Order: sequence, then C-alpha cells, then structure tokens
Amino acid sequence: MEDFLYFFSFQDASIAFVVLGITLLGIGSAFVGTFSFLDNKALLGDAISHAILPGICLGFMLAGEKNPFFIVGGAIASGGLATYLTSWLKDNTKLSEDSIIAVVLSVFFGVGIVFLTIIQKSGNPEMAGLNQFIFGNAIGIVERDLWIYGGLSLGIIGVLVFMLKEFQLLVFNPDFGKALGLPMHQIRLVFNILIILAVVIGIQAIGVVLMAALLITPGAAARFWTDRLKTLLVLAAVFAIISGIFGTYVSYTLPQMPTGPWVVVILSFIALLSFLFAPKKGILYRFFHRKKYIDKTQRDHVLKSVYKAEELGRHALSFEELTQLYPNQKKSINKSIKELEREGQLFINQNLIKLTKPGKMEAKRIVRLHRLWELYLNEYMNIAPDHVHESAEKLEHLLTPELEALLENRLNYPRLDPHQETIPRDHDDI
Amino acid sequence: MIKHIENPILEIHDLTVSYDQSPVLWNVDFSLPAGKLIGILGPNGAGKSTLIKAIMGLIQPSSGYVKIFDQDLDNVRNKISYVPQRESVDWNFPASVLDVVLMGTYGKLGLFKRPGKKEKELALSCLEKVGMTAYVHRQISELSGGQQQRVFIARALAQEADLYLMDEPFAGVDMNTETAIFNLLQEMSQSGKTVIVVHHDIYSAVNYFDWFIMLNLHLVASGPKNEVVTEELLRKTYGGKLNLLSKVSELIRQKEFNPLKD
Repeated sequence: MEDFLYFFSFQDASIAFVVLGITLLGIGSAFVGTFSFLDNKALLGDAISHAILPGICLGFMLAGEKNPFFIVGGAIASGGLATYLTSWLKDNTKLSEDSIIAVVLSVFFGVGIVFLTIIQKSGNPEMAGLNQFIFGNAIGIVERDLWIYGGLSLGIIGVLVFMLKEFQLLVFNPDFGKALGLPMHQIRLVFNILIILAVVIGIQAIGVVLMAALLITPGAAARFWTDRLKTLLVLAAVFAIISGIFGTYVSYTLPQMPTGPWVVVILSFIALLSFLFAPKKGILYRFFHRKKYIDKTQRDHVLKSVYKAEELGRHALSFEELTQLYPNQKKSINKSIKELEREGQLFINQNLIKLTKPGKMEAKRIVRLHRLWELYLNEYMNIAPDHVHESAEKLEHLLTPELEALLENRLNYPRLDPHQETIPRDHDDI
Repeated sequence: MIKHIENPILEIHDLTVSYDQSPVLWNVDFSLPAGKLIGILGPNGAGKSTLIKAIMGLIQPSSGYVKIFDQDLDNVRNKISYVPQRESVDWNFPASVLDVVLMGTYGKLGLFKRPGKKEKELALSCLEKVGMTAYVHRQISELSGGQQQRVFIARALAQEADLYLMDEPFAGVDMNTETAIFNLLQEMSQSGKTVIVVHHDIYSAVNYFDWFIMLNLHLVASGPKNEVVTEELLRKTYGGKLNLLSKVSELIRQKEFNPLKD
C-alpha cells in the first residue's frame, strides 16, 4: 500500500518521468496500431517488432554502450529494412503475405539473437541492460530516454492527428484516394514509417517481443465498444495507458519483473472484459438478449394456448392442461404464467387461468400475425398449407406493426387462414 | 462498328492492359462524346472494370494512352469522379454515412486540410439527391446493399465533377434503388455531365443508356444506341469468350517475363 501511494502520488520525479513516458508511448502505439488493425495488417507490427532486434544489437556494438541514439537509429534501420523486404517480396514473388511475414520475422529475430549472444560473450559490462530490450523494463527509463522515446511518441501522435483524413482513406478505400489524385503511395510510406517508430518507442519499456500486443490489442478491444473512428482511437489510447502504467507499477514494486509481460496481461484482461461485456458485440450481452427473446416467445405461446382454448368455447385452462401442452418445459412455463399474471395479462383464480382484457388483445395480435403470415406464405409463395406453420411459429414474435399493416393490405383484410381458422381482430366477439 | 468523335471528352488510344503479364484488354481504341449516358457492356471477365481502372490510372497499361478533356489524367483529376465496386471496400470500417460521403470532397481539399462546414453542407445535399438523408449518422455496416451503393454515388456527387465513371452501380441493388439511381444519372446527363457506367444486364441496359461500349477482351463496338445495339454485335460481345485471344493470353502468362512490355 505504501508502495502504491508512493508510486501514484508521483512525488518521485523519476516515477513521474516513467509514467509520462509510458503514457505518451501508449497513446502513440495505440493510435498507429488501431489503424493497422483496421487495415488487417496486425501481423506486420509483430514482424517489425521482432525485426528490430538485430538493429538494436548493432547499435549497441557500434556505440559500445547503451546509447539511446545508436540503439533507436539501429532499430529504425533494421525495422525499415524488414518492412521494405516484406513489400518487395510481395511484389516480386508469388508467396502469400503471411508466409513472407513469418519468414522475415524469424530470420531477423534469429540474427538478432545471434548478435545478442556475441555481445554477451564479449564481456562488455554495459550489456546487462541489453536483455531489457527483449521483455522491456519501464523503470529503466531515465530522463535522456524520455526525451527520445517521448519525443518520438509526440511526433507519431502529431502526424496521426494531422493526417487523420488521409489515413482513414488509406485504410478504407486507397483506390478511391488515388482516383482523387492524392499521393496514396507516399501516404502508405508515411504510415509504414509510423509503424516502425511506434515499435521502436516501445523497446525500452515493453520490449521487442511483446510490442506487437501493445500495438494491436488496444484497438481490437476498443472495437467492441464503438463504431466511431475517433472514439475508437481515444478508447484504444486509454486502454494502452491503463495497462502501461499498471505494468510499470508491477516492475516498480517487484524489481525483477519485466514490464512487457505485465502490460500484455492487463491488456488481455481488458480485451477479455470487452469481449464479454461490451454492449451489442459482447457475448454476454448477446446471450442475455437471446434469452430475453426466448422468454418472450414462451410467454407469447402461453397467451396463444389460452386464447385457442377460448376459441374452442372453454372459459379457462387449468395449470395442468397448460403445462401438458409443453411437457418438456414445465418449470419455465410456470414461470411464464407467473410473469404474465404480474404483467396483468392473465388472471388466475384458484387453479384456473383466464386472459384479462389486455392479455386477450395481445393474444389476438400474436394469433393474427401467425395466421396472416401463414396465409401470405400460402397465397404469395405457393407453399402448401401443411408447410406454413413452422415458419409462422417463429415469425409471429418478430413481425412489426408496419409489416402487419402491409400484410393486411396485401391480403385484403382476410377473414380465414389456410386452415380455415378465423383471423382474430381487436373488435371481434370471442 | 466503332464510331469516332471530333473533340471527344474521353479518348482511349490503342490501350492494352495486362494483369500479371497476361493481357485482359487488347488494343482498345475509342472516343466518347460529352453529355451522354454511356454503358459499358460485356460478359464476365470481359475487362469492363479493368477498362474503368485503366482510365482512372489505377492500373498501368502495357501500352497506349488515355486522354480526358484532351489532357493527361493528372491535370484533370478534379473534373473526374469515380464509383468503385461496392465489394471493393470493407464495410465494417468504423465510419458513418456522412464520413464516407465527405471523402468525395478530399480531392478538392487536398492534403492535410480538414473538411469544414462548406464540405459538410455539400455532402448533405448529395445525400439528399440519392434519398439517404435519413441515414446521415448511420454506421455504414448497418446499411443494405442498395443503401451502400447510394452512399458511394453520393460520395461521387460530392466530387462535383464533369465526367463520372461508375463500376457496377446497379450490382446487388433492389428495384427501387435501381430506378432511383437511373433517374439520377439521367438528370446528370441532361445537365451536361457525362456518365460512364459498367453494367452487366443487357436487357435493362438498352433502356438506360444512349451510347454503348461493348467489350469482350477487345473492343467490339462503340457508338450510339441505334447503331450498335444489333443482334450481330451483341452476339459478338456475349457469344462466349474469344477462344483464340484467351489461348494467346495463356501462352503469354506462362512466359517468365512480359513479352508485351516495351
């Protein structure tokens, strides 16, 4: 708890630096990543993040120490080479894009690991810090790093905000952009540079292996919550910042803990929550939505059964008679009856169930839709009368008043359905 | 039957286009008059979309050139409007109807400038013309095929061009939308705009267009309706793929290099 307060009060300037750095980094990578996610190019970010390892090592070898300028320079160079190679191979061979990306990723990462081993064998005392670039250590960010990584992040955010319209066109419909006369080729180039930079800014804090997750997951999780591009970008940035700061906090309290894996754990948790709970697209929402619909259809069926008994001249149905109609669903039928009584659609006297006035109106409406639809199928689609019931049983719950009016109109307010049963209207007698 | 024109709005000179080496359009050469509603007809795989894309500069031709308003394409982009095939984009992209129509104004805006009040008003008036005012803020993935097509046409209108190139605007749309779009195209051509439309259905085409381009890997005909809509030319256009041309294409495709490139 003490740690927690100390960390989040930001009284320590170095912690404030780190948090500022990780916030900028989160926004930058979430912005770029959201676009590459929408562009269905999620794997490219992964390839680039692995491909910058040899560049980092070369930068280290050239500088002989952990000089951020050399390391960032090397990372950008090898990331750029990997991106160029990917698109060159795509244009000049018949290989599919995912095999190209897999090859580029593994070759570059393999070379990087070889370099890393050479550096470790060399006994350079500075090399201890180099391992951090694989899984990241946000606590290792010092003021000098902040200027570089923070500055690059600000640059990325600036370019993206400035060129929002161009990138939107690039992802949605690049051919149209070209037809408008906009330089789509150059815009694609700028975007590729942004992806490389977005990966590079994360090498210290998140590490090369997991940086792809910080690029793609925020956008993918945010997509569950919104259909608006600007909201999507803001939400993705918020997710990235939350997970970034939390990962940093874990690295702070447990010094041996790398930051990258924790950031990914939190991000995945946010993505899982989005997947489960987001309105409309979340799976729980869809589950309850469906359940609600099924309950409603069952209540409709109960009303219909009582109404049909009335049609046959009975005044009421007993509980037993009603549940016997649905032998497998006794429990839920009882629940539906209670619910309908509460809504004032049914009237229960001792063991007998009767329709109230509003209940009867509703029952008539359902039966009417059922029989109108049967008649429509029979008359307009030439389906035999003994084949129309199943479809009507489903559509009676769905048809809207507008469609009802349209059906009535088309069929010219019919009196009987294909089975010679009366189509009930509100002002009939029974 | 290829009728050439003095002072054409669009001139295609000996255009050959290849995909992965193998030619899909052979030596197409025609010129078009202004202010007409022009249909491009031909069977599947005849190269109709390829022709449109080559005119728009989206594919590099192997040989030949295109002149629009007697100029190179890049000088007159502002006067040309393009409706790509509806299936060519991902409609799940997070954007509203208005966002998509606003894209039509990006060409005149140029790089880095954001659409403002003027552009928004233009976009709204274009949506009104295609009868989509009620859907301005609707997410594009929620639209029906016909509505998506209307949005694309509104976007093309927002380009405020003189020449319109439309790739299958009637594909997968309901009868109502087809009539509405056709009436709009007719209005446009009456006000002096030239509209070129790729169309697949010959029966409706005869009622819709007043000038025809008939394609089947090569140009079969180009001319006014009463001169080119003949049984003979239609049979030439739709009477199966030209066996010999397809065989030559196949031969070229199997080469390791492109023998047609200069």
